[in-house]
Amino acid sequence: MAENRIFDLAVSPHVGSPQKTKRVMWDVVIALIPALIAAFWFFGPKALMLVGASVGAAVLTEWLCLKFMKRPVNFAFDGSAVVTGLLLAYNVPSGVPWWLPVLGSAFAIAVAKQAFGGLGHNIVNPALLGRAFLVASFPVLMTAGWVAPMEWRDGQHIEVQACGVPTGNLSEIGELDALSGATPLNVLKQTFGWEGEPERAEEVRESLFSKESMKNLFMGRIGGCIGETSVIMLLLGALYLVLRGVLELRLPLSYLGSVALFGWLFGGPGWLDGNPLFHLFAGGVILGGFFMITDMVTTPVTKKGRIIFGIGAGLLTMVIRRWGGYPEGCSYSILLMNLCTPLIDRYTKPVSFGEVKKNG
Amino acid sequence: MSKVKSFAGGTHPPGNKGLSCGAAVVRLPAPEVVTVPLCQHLGAPSKPVVKPGDEVTKGSVIGEQNGFISLPTHSPVNGKVLRIENVPMPHMRSGPAVVIKTESEDGENVYEPIADWKNTEIPLLVSRIKEAGICGMGGASFPTYVKLSPPPGVKIDTLIINGVECEPYLTADHRLMLEKADDLITGMNILAHVLGVSDPCIGIEVNKPDAIELLEKKGARVVRLKVQYPQGAEKQLIDAAVGRQVPAGALPLNVGVVVQNVGTCVAVADAVCKGMPSIRRITTVSGLGVNKPGNFDVCVGTPVSTLIEAAGGYKEDVKRLIGGGPMMGMALFTDGVPVTKGTSGILAMASKEVRDTAEGPCIKCGKCVDVCPLNLLPCTIATASEYEKWEDAEKAGALNCMACGTCSYVCPSGRYLVHYIKRAQNEVRALIRAREA
Repeated sequence: MAENRIFDLAVSPHVGSPQKTKRVMWDVVIALIPALIAAFWFFGPKALMLVGASVGAAVLTEWLCLKFMKRPVNFAFDGSAVVTGLLLAYNVPSGVPWWLPVLGSAFAIAVAKQAFGGLGHNIVNPALLGRAFLVASFPVLMTAGWVAPMEWRDGQHIEVQACGVPTGNLSEIGELDALSGATPLNVLKQTFGWEGEPERAEEVRESLFSKESMKNLFMGRIGGCIGETSVIMLLLGALYLVLRGVLELRLPLSYLGSVALFGWLFGGPGWLDGNPLFHLFAGGVILGGFFMITDMVTTPVTKKGRIIFGIGAGLLTMVIRRWGGYPEGCSYSILLMNLCTPLIDRYTKPVSFGEVKKNG
Repeated sequence: MSKVKSFAGGTHPPGNKGLSCGAAVVRLPAPEVVTVPLCQHLGAPSKPVVKPGDEVTKGSVIGEQNGFISLPTHSPVNGKVLRIENVPMPHMRSGPAVVIKTESEDGENVYEPIADWKNTEIPLLVSRIKEAGICGMGGASFPTYVKLSPPPGVKIDTLIINGVECEPYLTADHRLMLEKADDLITGMNILAHVLGVSDPCIGIEVNKPDAIELLEKKGARVVRLKVQYPQGAEKQLIDAAVGRQVPAGALPLNVGVVVQNVGTCVAVADAVCKGMPSIRRITTVSGLGVNKPGNFDVCVGTPVSTLIEAAGGYKEDVKRLIGGGPMMGMALFTDGVPVTKGTSGILAMASKEVRDTAEGPCIKCGKCVDVCPLNLLPCTIATASEYEKWEDAEKAGALNCMACGTCSYVCPSGRYLVHYIKRAQNEVRALIRAREA
């Protein structure tokens, strides 16, 4: 027989989808860019500086950890550290010193991610644990560093309405003057919360849930963390991810739906009078709902599990907003649900084909 | 037009069928030397009944049936036996084969044609299908006569003919449906008659509209199926076409269904009406690594290198040679292996077609869970297998996996999920045997 050509062997399948981890991570980075533009517009160049410092710190920490553990360092450039750095910076107020996000990113990568074994092995969302670390360690900076949004007008960066609430209604309220840099959720907590001021509830409710307030929330013309305020820009990024086929919608939709439902149930001064749209647009729900809760590593793999995760996180978010110690509950709700992921996966194992249903 | 049906889950890899679906089947003469494997079917290999130096004629038995799940093997040519030896196989590492020096391909029918099969006793038809050595031509190569002999008490009421051809690149069944539609329908009717089924149907993916139209014009009942991998997997096809779920670990006949490939139908028609045993098949040669992809009608035992030559030879860049489709086919280390009754295609794939071999850690994205047609958790089974936790793999349902490869295809980390799961299957089976012993 003639000479036969020899080939390499490999296991099947021999073809693969082009959608690889690296591409997914860089797609997420691209999807986060519109929110960065909004951050620059509303919080000025300092926001960009903080984001840059955070991303740089994240990638550098990842590289150092891998080097130290004698693992391939090219993992540091798979985009996942960039995503963590971006998300961490998006979760701090723009009034903080530069070293704060740097410290947060380094903690997120070194402790929350690499200490557990790196990509794919972390238990909780690194960026959110980094933020929790900052809130616990620097509570004053993290909760009082709000900067009122600004806008470019006549070639100048000028401050606009503080908390997205029409000032006409609130200027008469003495105590609230101190909140010139506060977020709408601060206002909510201070009036509707346990130790709030129920006598003002109706007034605040009207102005918080007003059309103008909604418009400010939607555009991002409010106080808040760097990357969480502009709903429209975040939705733009989310739309990109959906079009690229990266976003699996069970988690975002169940989370947002749950926030809306519980926001209506008890997100107002009384029962059944909350404004679902306000609770969706305020705080970090849109950022969290499309970019943090969707972290694949720390959420259930089963379809049913993802829906349970989303609903649970939504409920926790609203419970914290209404009765918890912080005005915003998005990040803690996701962190708490992250810890439940293995349990959820265990109890939502799908029935495999042909296992129960028989002879149709 | 009937509704387009499907199963749940699956994915849609690029079909790349355009490379060869327009190429009419070319009949190749037998090569100078044929290497006829004795293990072309699933089950026990045939027992050789010839020895070196023997003269054989086209269609004569060279290996006899060796057990219930086994079949006889026939010589595809007139010639002289050179040797009997173990050779590399397209579907396994190596196996016994009879090497025959071809003298000619002349010869009439081997058996008496049964023109009036409608009035022939059914056992006679089944035994003809057995004698002719017919096995499933879709790839799994299960002896056809076994499927036609349900155990007593089992009632078959549905016959589905599998014309899905969901593997990318492959077009052999598509061409066969277009070029041998009459034989296909005759074969289908013979099988329906044998099983006592009144209304058989052919399941075809809607990416083959010409085949659907032609077969419907000829009076066959076609079930249109969505283009979705693995639509042609037996249990998925049954679910899609008639809405019955075959229980895990059971066979289609447990839900009253028999599935046969379109190629098998043609082989049945050839055996019954023309008196010819199963010694030829249509196979696709494709991929960006060959010059002229096409479909070829070859005798079994033809070396793959001959097929590649017929397809214009290799291009410069050939990264991998595959027997079968790209999703479930096996990589071949040499093109010296022979074509068998189950060889649905030979692919010479260029570097850019083949998946990246780099593997990352599982990021628990759940994509494999979303697509698994059997509703398993591929990532969980694979991780258990990676850490050699075989009991965990068993509990996660490792044995239910059919290795369709959909999970590995979609995995963003490029993990060899099927490989891990197959390994777990071997270990779990060993574990069960040890437990029972």
